[in-house]
Amino acid sequence: MRKGDSLVAHMDWALFATYIVMLIIGMATVYSVAYNEDHPNIYEYSEKYGKQLVWLGISLFLGLMVFLIDSDIYRKFSVPIYLFTLFLLVIVLFTPKINGARAWLGIGSMGVQPAEFAKIGTALLLARFISTVNVKQQNIQTVLIANAIILMPMVLILLQPDAGTFVVFTSFLFVMYREGITYDPLILRVINRIPGIRFKSTWVGGHFIPILFVVIMLSVVTLLMSNEVLEFSFLPNVKVPGFYSVVATLLLISLLFLIFLRVVSARRERGRATLVVILGFSMAAGLSSVVNYGFQGLRSHQKDRIELFLGMKEDPNGKDYNRNRAMAAVGSGGFLGKGYREASVSSVRSNHVPESETDFIFCPFAEEWGFAGTFILVALYMFMLVRIIIIAERQRAVFNRVYAYTVAMILFYHFAINIGMNIGFAPVIGIPLPFFSYGGSSMMSFSVMMFILLKLDSQRRDVLQ
Amino acid sequence: MNLDARRYVILAFILMVGVLYTSRLFYMQVVDDQWVLRAQEIAEKRWEITPPRGVLFDRMGKKIVSNRTYYNLMMIEAEIHDLDTAKFAKLIGWTREEVRNRFKEIVRGEGTYYNKNTGKRTANYQKIRAYPFMKELTLEEVARIAPHLDNFKGFHEEVTSMRSYPYANGANIVGYLSEVSQEEIDEDHFYKPGDNIGKAGLERFYEKELRGRKGIRYIVTSAMNNAIESYADGKYDTSALQGPPLKLGVDIQLQAYGEKLLKGKRGCIVAIEPSTGEILALVSSPSYDPNLMIGKRNISMYYPKLLLDPNTPLLPRPLASEYPPGSTFKLLNSLIALQEGVITPEFGAPCNKSVVGCHNHASAGNLADAIKHSCNPYYYAVMRRIVQQNRKKSVFADAEVGLSRWVDYMKSFGLGHTLETDITGLRPGRIPDVAFYDKWYGHHRWAFSTIRSISIGQGEVTITPLQMANVAAIIANKGWYYTPHFVKAIGANGPLPEYRKKHYSKIDTQYYDIVIEGMRRVVYEPGGTGRRALLKDIVICGKTGTVQNPHGEDHSTFIAFAPMDKPKIAIAVFIENAKGGGGLWAAPTASLMIEKYLKRKITEKEREKTIIDAVFSYMR
Ligand SMILES: [Zn+2]
Repeated sequence: MRKGDSLVAHMDWALFATYIVMLIIGMATVYSVAYNEDHPNIYEYSEKYGKQLVWLGISLFLGLMVFLIDSDIYRKFSVPIYLFTLFLLVIVLFTPKINGARAWLGIGSMGVQPAEFAKIGTALLLARFISTVNVKQQNIQTVLIANAIILMPMVLILLQPDAGTFVVFTSFLFVMYREGITYDPLILRVINRIPGIRFKSTWVGGHFIPILFVVIMLSVVTLLMSNEVLEFSFLPNVKVPGFYSVVATLLLISLLFLIFLRVVSARRERGRATLVVILGFSMAAGLSSVVNYGFQGLRSHQKDRIELFLGMKEDPNGKDYNRNRAMAAVGSGGFLGKGYREASVSSVRSNHVPESETDFIFCPFAEEWGFAGTFILVALYMFMLVRIIIIAERQRAVFNRVYAYTVAMILFYHFAINIGMNIGFAPVIGIPLPFFSYGGSSMMSFSVMMFILLKLDSQRRDVLQ
Repeated sequence: MNLDARRYVILAFILMVGVLYTSRLFYMQVVDDQWVLRAQEIAEKRWEITPPRGVLFDRMGKKIVSNRTYYNLMMIEAEIHDLDTAKFAKLIGWTREEVRNRFKEIVRGEGTYYNKNTGKRTANYQKIRAYPFMKELTLEEVARIAPHLDNFKGFHEEVTSMRSYPYANGANIVGYLSEVSQEEIDEDHFYKPGDNIGKAGLERFYEKELRGRKGIRYIVTSAMNNAIESYADGKYDTSALQGPPLKLGVDIQLQAYGEKLLKGKRGCIVAIEPSTGEILALVSSPSYDPNLMIGKRNISMYYPKLLLDPNTPLLPRPLASEYPPGSTFKLLNSLIALQEGVITPEFGAPCNKSVVGCHNHASAGNLADAIKHSCNPYYYAVMRRIVQQNRKKSVFADAEVGLSRWVDYMKSFGLGHTLETDITGLRPGRIPDVAFYDKWYGHHRWAFSTIRSISIGQGEVTITPLQMANVAAIIANKGWYYTPHFVKAIGANGPLPEYRKKHYSKIDTQYYDIVIEGMRRVVYEPGGTGRRALLKDIVICGKTGTVQNPHGEDHSTFIAFAPMDKPKIAIAVFIENAKGGGGLWAAPTASLMIEKYLKRKITEKEREKTIIDAVFSYMR
């Protein structure tokens, strides 16, 4: 079996190992948080850890299936797969509401969420489409089709409604950015109507996506920090307004960038790199202050609305409640944590943090393992994401590369938003933490996603340019 | 367009978030400890267990302040369904309006929690917690209500401990408890709203001892507020510890007898054991039954009444009333004059009524007789010699010197300043000094003739009955005293250290013998002013005083100690607006007290009846 040998030999073991480690930590966390003295056995199906173990088994089995199928099939069948997931998204709208959303297909606890699988369908079709596009000859049609592929499932998901997954779908925009799908054809059509102007391309059209996201991210973080005052236990009289800490962090990041760019850039480009960083920092700091002081200057009812949306304020729906309790749980972890199964705030039994086994699973982890644990967790995610991007960039086939990027960006979104809402950096949007949160759909979809990537990568040499 | 470089933009984006999150996590988990506190507030509850207060015993070992079981009617709002307010109000004997207001009052009483993170205030009140709806019900009251509570879900009874006073005496000594005020809570975090605190008397002074130590249990609680388990297996828990018992020098039977004697009169009796400074009795009349001041309901019912009573039963007169000492003051002036050497024991002076009024008696040929007769002109002469010693040319400057010396002696008798007795509400009295008269008359505008009424304890001089009794004790001890105090033992320990320190007067011992002989004559020689204090087998030394009072009848006062050779009791009696001098009312009262204390029985039945039956007009 020459083919099988090459599969194992060419698999990216580093990524696979990271994935397995995360599954194990995730499983241990679910066991800890949902622990029931009456049923201490991890195989106990009546408890959440028993169920999660079953999901984990199913996921690994699906992964094996995926791995055994010829990778070409994902490219070839991307349209039917996409249409099938769209179909499921339509079907689900005719089911009764569960917890205020029509998101579940199936019976009782064994239900699945089509939205989770729509990510895979959309990723495959987007990869397929971009692989057929000649980036140098883009037209309005290219932009519109690429956006339509993303928008159709997004609209259906918004109808459920599931705001979290809806937001996650914007991660595909980053993939389009990487592949050079530009909004220029749209922008130029408007701009070039102005007499005397005839642009070939615009900087904004090209870098529209990352700029937009930096703006959004920075604005949200600035807003969330605007009411906060940072205190330091070892400096009793020092109080730093949240806004200053945002600017200070920007400065720190800019400095790191500067060092990084000066190291990687060619000698003659170093001056330019410095200029770009200074310019970038000034713009970011400027934006942050506009948001901060603009927010402070808002009339109170407008302020209320924004605070309500971001969960900064006590409200009847309890967004603030979740956020505050989650932050208390995370922050109380200290350096080494309270110890395994010692979470006093975020265990399921104490129920101070709702959804602590699903969307807020980072809480019990952070409470039990402290900064030592959360540092390792963040590092693991960083390693996984960087690894996927390295894998993406070594693909010969555009399809494979685009697909790998979608996996990276979807995981990144889940990571950033999920942990962000546990530490007060993101509004409370319910999305799972990949490989950790309790739940079959996300476990299966992330695993399948991961195995498709591993499979595509292991066969990368078989693909002709 | 170099698309390959865009991988770095995306990588940078991802790594930036990684760095940002790591630093934020570091700040939250390692640097900032507010989240630890917040988590404790959320998940760890302190259950405080309040121990019963320390109890009080009298010198004979009789329990005079103890604890009794009461009941609180508790309510848990979350468990109340469809409360029939009218029926419930009827059961507990309130109006519907009162019931509704009580709910609001409880919520308000819990205060608010300030979240510095959001800048928002939220109420501490929790619907799932139990709060006392009615407090301090007696067994009889709760027995009437409890059987019907099944019809009112969300209400239940709970046992609590309250004060009880087996003897209805000594209210002004023991004081009373009342709910803590917000200021007291802010000042001392020991207290929670609804806790009791000593508001007067020994309950207040020994609050820190009597309250004991609260027991604290740390428990991990769930969002529904039910306990899950002991926090850290109870490692940080502490058990409640009752405050130590206080043993008083007070003799509760003597105290009760004193209160009985003064019934129908405004006045005070203070008795001290001279050898220890322990207060044996401190009677303030009129007084009140301390059992009236147990619990919020009683206090709100009786306190306003007591406060508005024109005879001021809440005022601890022996501590807080500053009276002119009258003729009892002559004893001190005698001692000072002897010590200063301005008179000898054989000094005689005519009873010249043109200087100041006196009663009819033979002129005193020596000091002891002057004391016996309490001769006013004699003491003008004595005081003139103290104040005007001819040390300065100017009569005014000379008076300054003399008065200053006199003030120094007076201070050494514990006068003119607050005694450090273990009770609150003490007043200093007044020994007028140079500064006082300078302010009053102007610098060098006064001399002996201006201030002479202090010779006989009138005018600007005031002292409290406690100070008077202490003076009697100093004379009994021939020159020293322990600060008068109530508590002789705190648990297994002795009294507070300040009551183990002897204070000395500036008078040599031999001069006391002369004055004491005069005091004996007051009671035992014909013509003495205190003949009504006479006891057959105990030698009482005393001195009467009749205090002129511009607002009414003279006050009657008497200070004494007994027995003469080995004094066991020193006493001061002060009866307000008694028609008749010190010899008529105060002296027999003191004598009865002495007999009661030393012999535990009264032989002078007639004398006792006269005193007890007397009811003065202002008390009717
Ligand atoms: Zn006379």
